This record gives sequence, structure tokens and C-alpha cells, in this order.
Amino acid sequence: MSALTPPALLTAAELGPREGAIATGSPRPAGMKPLWRWRRAALWGALLALLGVAQTLLVALTVGYESVRAQEEVDAVATEAAADVRHELLGAIQTLQALAWNPGPQPDPLQAAAALLKARPTFKRVEWRDQNLRVTQAVDTPFRPQLFSQMPRADLGVEVELACNAARRAAAPMYSRSYFVPQAGALGLEVIDLCVPEQRAGREAGFLVGTFALAPLLEALSPSRQARRHEFSFVEGDGTRLARAGVRRGAGVYVAERVVDLPGATLQLRADSAAGRPSLIPNLATALVLGLSIALFGVVLLLARDVRRRAQVERALAEALAFRKAMEDSLSTGLRARDMQGVISYVNPAFCAMVGFAADELLPAAGLPGRPMSTPGDAQALATSQQASQYAPPYWPPEYAALYQHRQQQRLEGSGRSPSELREGFETVFMRKSGERFPVMIYEAPLVDGQGLQTGWMSAVLDLSAQRRVEEISRQQQERLQATARLATVGEMASLLSHELNQPLAAIASYASGSLNLINDPAADTPGLLKQALERIAEQAERAGRVIKSVHDFVRRREQLHETLGADALLEAVLPLARLHARKSGTRIELDLPPGAAGAASRPQRVRCDRTMVEQVLLNLARNGIQAMEVATQPADRVLTLRVRAAQPGRTTFSVIDRGPGIADEVAARLFTPFFTTRAEGMGLGLSLCRTVIEQHGGTLDYGPGPDGVGTEFRFTLATTSVAESSETGRPVSAR
Amino acid sequence: MVHAPVSFTLHPPLDAGLGIPVVYLVDDEDVVRDALAWLLRSRRLLSQGYASAEAFETWLAEQRAPGRSAWPQAPSCLVLDVRMPGTSGLLLFERLAERGLLPLLPVIFLTGHGDVPTAVAAVKRGAFDFVEKPFSNNALVDRVEVALQASAQALRGRKMQGALARLLAELTEREHDVLRLVIEGRPNKLIADELGISVRTVEVHRARVFEKMNVKSAVELANLLRDGGLG
Repeated sequence: MSALTPPALLTAAELGPREGAIATGSPRPAGMKPLWRWRRAALWGALLALLGVAQTLLVALTVGYESVRAQEEVDAVATEAAADVRHELLGAIQTLQALAWNPGPQPDPLQAAAALLKARPTFKRVEWRDQNLRVTQAVDTPFRPQLFSQMPRADLGVEVELACNAARRAAAPMYSRSYFVPQAGALGLEVIDLCVPEQRAGREAGFLVGTFALAPLLEALSPSRQARRHEFSFVEGDGTRLARAGVRRGAGVYVAERVVDLPGATLQLRADSAAGRPSLIPNLATALVLGLSIALFGVVLLLARDVRRRAQVERALAEALAFRKAMEDSLSTGLRARDMQGVISYVNPAFCAMVGFAADELLPAAGLPGRPMSTPGDAQALATSQQASQYAPPYWPPEYAALYQHRQQQRLEGSGRSPSELREGFETVFMRKSGERFPVMIYEAPLVDGQGLQTGWMSAVLDLSAQRRVEEISRQQQERLQATARLATVGEMASLLSHELNQPLAAIASYASGSLNLINDPAADTPGLLKQALERIAEQAERAGRVIKSVHDFVRRREQLHETLGADALLEAVLPLARLHARKSGTRIELDLPPGAAGAASRPQRVRCDRTMVEQVLLNLARNGIQAMEVATQPADRVLTLRVRAAQPGRTTFSVIDRGPGIADEVAARLFTPFFTTRAEGMGLGLSLCRTVIEQHGGTLDYGPGPDGVGTEFRFTLATTSVAESSETGRPVSAR
Repeated sequence: MVHAPVSFTLHPPLDAGLGIPVVYLVDDEDVVRDALAWLLRSRRLLSQGYASAEAFETWLAEQRAPGRSAWPQAPSCLVLDVRMPGTSGLLLFERLAERGLLPLLPVIFLTGHGDVPTAVAAVKRGAFDFVEKPFSNNALVDRVEVALQASAQALRGRKMQGALARLLAELTEREHDVLRLVIEGRPNKLIADELGISVRTVEVHRARVFEKMNVKSAVELANLLRDGGLG
């Protein structure tokens, strides 16, 4: 029975979560829930029914067992009693035979018989009969009144005669059938006779007849413990009771009958137990079983309640889990958990979508050991992190892997950023599976387990590329706007210039045409007119020259703004803007200053220039370089180098080196031509203006292939100023 | 820079009866105006320069003052800069067009770059032509000459019209009637029936009309009237 319970439990337990999952998952088909409810009700019903049946059976078996035991007891008692009776009666045969066959020395058979009657109370009477069955002598028991006082012996001699005749034929003692002897007081006694043939000298001499009362026979039975609780009786075949004995009356429920076989007759002995039909309540065994059953029921009920509650909790848990999972899946923020070794232990779908790797590829079980770290500089990073795992997640750009490894190591050591800083987030660059780099914002928080120990870091990762794109677009728009504004200014200036120049030129053309007209058709005053025309032409040419000079003066006025500053200051001023441009394509910008330039001991090269103009030149060149790498160069190779070197004496060379595809010949031929551009949005003034600016500074702008033969290097030189000149003295010192 | 007027031997008049053609230059740029004047002189064309539209209008108002003979008496052409401070060339052109001067005073616009659509619109409204700056000098002068010829043509028409009107004014009322019917091509008899006079009288009137109109035949008379814009 108890074996039934676990499957029921198991079913409930394993169905619980599924139901929860269904409830929170896809909409469940209608009718599913009632069906399931019916099934559970049926299971519980079956359990209870089985339990009931089993209990009933147990009780029935217990009761049955009681009955069987009582019956068995009665049977045993009856058997024993029958054996005793038989033993007694067979003993009586021997006693009588001894009396019959031993007359010789016996002085008086009557005396012997009297002694016998005294000794054995079951004997009621001994009589001798002759061959014709007439009573010759008789001795009665001394313990009771005359047996045949109420009715003469002769009237009751049928049975004994039958027995004696049978004894004669068999030549062996024979018992008669029992018969009733009325007694005084309307009582009676059931007796049985034993007829033993007497033989003398091999001849039949007569019969010895002994009479036994049946009731004393039963009363003489061994009063054992069991026997005392039974009523014994002799019955006839039809159930008529002949004699009875026993302390108690039989209940008539447990009855056993035994046949006592005697020579010439049979007696039917009945034992009737005083124990009644077994009742339920006062029966201890039954009560115990019932009590246990009730207890079991109680336990089962408790169990059922427990299972029910458990199922509810499980369902709630499953719902909460599903809710959390849905929450996690619907998040657009990437989640990533790392253990203390920096190995990823969890990623959510948003993170996978962001980096383009499947979860299996990111989790160490499948992905280990990630990408082997191969970047130079690893050695240094690893030296500080010997025990750190060399595992580099696949979304780390290879060029940054060493840096990230170092940062992670600092994190694990507890140095580096403080937790509050981490919570505020920091920006870094990840790589998609396609190799595309993209900026992300990472917020990290320590991952603490149930015992309060930190087991790792949980990071929320935001993809900033969309935001960057928007920023980029707005920046481009702004730039375009500025360019348009500049263009408008340039256009205005050009229009002004062209108007200013058009007038004298138109006048000159008019005078020249008129002069030609005169020469073709000479008249008297022609020479005078020609002279006049030429004077006017000269006048107008001079005027045009003045216009040009005024433009030159404007440029010259800017030269008044020249200042002396360090080469590194120029680069640093350009750097933020250049980085802004570089961010879109993931280009890295490297500064290459002369060795020792950064140190305090040797001052960096100082140059005198129009700061705004030269910065614009640097920015233009940097932007060109970044754009040159946008298409054909691998993201990992997108490096723009800004280099400063002391070149020839007294000059400083600035180089902007990209790793792009270089400059095609047909482009190179027109590179510095104004209004020539390879870009759709370009004005085509960039390089030409750059060269103009540099030439105004007395330098040159040229270009060539990059130092490694890759890409392009644009170089320009500026005059180096000695430190002394830029100092307070202001004394001009010849350039170094 | 204003130069002393240059003296030239003038171009022989295009039409002896029409007087010396004049080119009016209206441009705010003195240099350009003087150079252009000089160029026109080199092609023997007389020119008058005005620094602004207002200056030209003032001068024009003087010419057209009441009591003076109808202006212009000589073939004329106006070379007009589109862009000028104050009254623009375009506005001046509109005003001239309103006064119906355009056939007699063809206008050639000088336009800078960007003004071409404006100039084309002006041509559609009756300007003679436009020349884009920087212009090819002799081509401009060629256009000016064509414009002067057109002006001379218009001037001739106007003068002929004036003469015809004077001749017609000398006819009596009866002669007018006869003239009208003669031009319609009716024989004298029908004219007599129409007017209710005798054929003889018609013949006399007819002869007098021919004499007064200085023609010899009815056909000649019809041509004269047609040329004078009355036919």
C-alpha cells in the first residue's frame, strides 16, 4: 500500500513544474486543465479505494484468523477428548476381560467386581450372564442408587442382548449401543453396555456385562485448560444429545465432533467452545489494525496536503522562473556573469545577439580555451597575472586582448576601478563575430552567493553603436553645416573677388577690343585714341593688381597671429577631434613623438605657426587617412599614426601615416588640384588648402608610401624655433 | 574715375532723315561705362552714359517734357546693367515698357552670372536682348547696331505715320468720304450713288484727294495708307 504513494507523489512533483511552464509559456489548449484535474482526482480516488479495500481485507483476515484459531482449538480439544474416552472405554474392556478370564484363584468374583466398581467410578454395574443371556449375578456401583430401580433390567435388555450375540459371533468383547435408563426424579442416565464372552476350557461359558454411564465418562476427562472452556457431549447421528459435561455451556459457534470407535458400537463426541462469534470492537488485533489504518489515512491525507502545497509552490516557482526568463530574454541589455577567474558562467540572449556568438560558444564548456592569446605584450600582461587563466573571450578584439586581460586581472586583485566606479559604468570596445568592433558601456557588480562570498562579477552590457551612429550622424550634419557655411563664406568672397576683378578686366577687354577696332579702321585721331586706351588699360591693370594685393594682405595679417608652441601641443589639440572621426570605423590613433620628447629634460620641438591653420591641416590629413582605411583595411589594422620628428636642421616634420590602400596614380596626378575630390561629399579644397597653408608657413606638403610600404604618409615641415627664442628674452636666435 | 569725354568723329548717320543714333549706357560702374563708351566710339557710335537708373529717368523726363517734339528723334538703344544700387535695371525696363518706348528704345541687358533667368524673363517681356558679363566686346557692339537698326525702323514708321496724318488733315469731309470709298475699290458711279452726288463731282473730289495725298493712282494711295498704318 505504501508502495502506491511514491508514484503518486512523483507524478505530482514532476507534473507541477510542467504545468507551471505551460501556464506561463505558450497558451495552453482548452480542456487540458480539467483533464489533468480529473486524472489527479482519479489517482487519489484509486489510492483511497485501494487503501479501503486493503483495510477491510486486513480486518476480515484478522477476524477470519481468529475464527480459524478458535475452531482449531475446538478440534484439538475434541480430538483429545475422543482419545481419552476411547482410552477409557478400551481400558474398561481389558478390565472386564481380566475379571472374566481369571475366575480360578479369585475367591469371589463378586467381591472382585465390587472392588472394581469402587476403583472405577464410570462402571455402574457388572453382571454375569449365562449362555442364554440370563442374568446370573450382578453387582451395582456403590456410588449411586440402584441403576435399574425405576425400570427392571429385563425391560432394558435389548441392547445388551444384541451386543452379547455379536460378542458370541465374534468371540470378542462388544459394546452395545447406548440407551436411556430412567432414574428417580424424572431424571435419566444414558448408559452403554460392554459384553465380554466368558470362555472356560475353550467353550463358551457365559457373558460378563459391564454397564457404563456416559456422563461420568465425560466428567472424568482430563480437566485441561482448554477443556474447561468447552462443553462436551455425546450426540447421536441426528444431533440428539445423549450426555453432556463441562463447566460452561457451549456457544454453538465453534463445534467439533469426533467419532469414538468402539468394538460393536460408535460414540459421537461433540466439543462445543464457550467462545462466541469473534466481535470487532473488543478484539485487540482488529482494533490495532483499525487504529493503524486510521493513522495511515491521516498520514496519507497530510501527505496529500503537503503534495498539494508543494505543487502550488512549485508552480509559483516555475512561474517566477518563467517570468524571470522572459524578463531576461526580453532585455535588450546584455548580461554576462563571470567567475573569479574571468571565465564566463552565464550570458543572456541579448548579449549573444550583441556579440553574434551563440551561448555555447561563449560558455567555457564548449568554447575553452577560447582564443589563445597571441598578441605581443601578452607576456607583460601575463607576468602580472600568472595564476590568471589565459582564457580570452572571443568577443575581445585581438588588438585589445592584452589590455583587457590586464584590466580583468586588476579587477580580480581588487585594484583598478572601485566598485562604485564599476557601477557607474565604463566604456570599452567589443568585437562581433563578424569582426566588427563596436563600443559598449559596461556596468559591473559583484556576484555574491548565498553564503555572502563573492563568486564573480555580473555585468550589464549596453551596445553603444546605435548611439554612436546617431552621434556620428549629428556630427556629420554639423560638419556639413559648417562646411556649407564655410563654403558660403568662400563663395561670397569669391563672388566679391570676381566682381572686384571683373570690372578692371572687363574695362581692359573693352579698351583692347576698341583699340583693335581703331587699328583695323584707322582715322586721323587714331594714335591719340590708342594712347588714351593704353593708358586706361594700364590704369585698370594696376587696379586689378591692387585687388590681388589686398587679398594677400589679408593672408599676411593672419601671420601676425603666429605663435610659438610645442609640436606635441599641436597634436594633442587635434587628437580629440581626430578620435571622434576614428571612432566610427574603430580606427586607433597612435602618437609617435620623438624619443625623449615626453620627458621634462628635453623640451619637445617648438614650432612657430598659425595654430588654427596648422591644426586644421593636421585634422584634414587625419580625416583623409581615417577615411582611406574605412573600406579596404581590416579593423584590426586600422591604425593612424601621427608622428613628429626633427628633420633637417631647424625643421620639424609632421607625418600622418595611414594603412589604407595608398593613392592611385590617376588620383595622385590631380591630388592638389582645387575642387578635385574622390569623395561624394568632399569639396575638394582640403589638400589644396592644406598645401597653401603649409606653403604660407614656408614649409612643404608632400606624400609617399607609408614607412612599411603599406598605406600613405603625408608629411609637412615647419620651421623649428629654438627654446631660447620662445623664452622671455625675445632675442632672435638663428634656428638650430 | 571719371574721364574727360572723348571726342570722336561721329559715325555717318544710318538714315539721313533720322539723325545721329545714340546709345544710352546705364551702369553704376564708371570704369565699365567709360570703357564701353570708348569701345562704341571706336565703332563710331555715339553714346551717353548715366551712372544710375534715376539719372537716366531724370534726363528722359526732360526730353519728354510737354511742348517738346516727340522723343527720340534719332535711333536709340539702351544698354542697361541689371544690378545697380537704387532703382534696378529691371525696374527701369518695366517703366519704359509701360510708357510704350520699347520699340523706339530697344533695351540690351548686361547681366552678371546668376542673373540669366531674370534676363531671359525680361527678354520674353520685350527686352531686345541680354549680354552676359564678361561679354565679348565687339559682339555687344554688334547687338547694339542691330538694336539701333530696329529703332530706326520703328522711328521711320512713326515719322511716316505723322506725315500721313498731316496729309489726311488737309482733306475736306467730302474728300474723306471719297477717299474711303476709293480705297474700297468702288468705281466712281457707285461712289456717286452712295454719296448722292453726281459722277462728275466724284471725279473732281478724287482728283483733289490724289493731288493732296501726293499720289497718282488709287493703288498708290492704298499702299501709302497701309504703310502709314491706316490701311
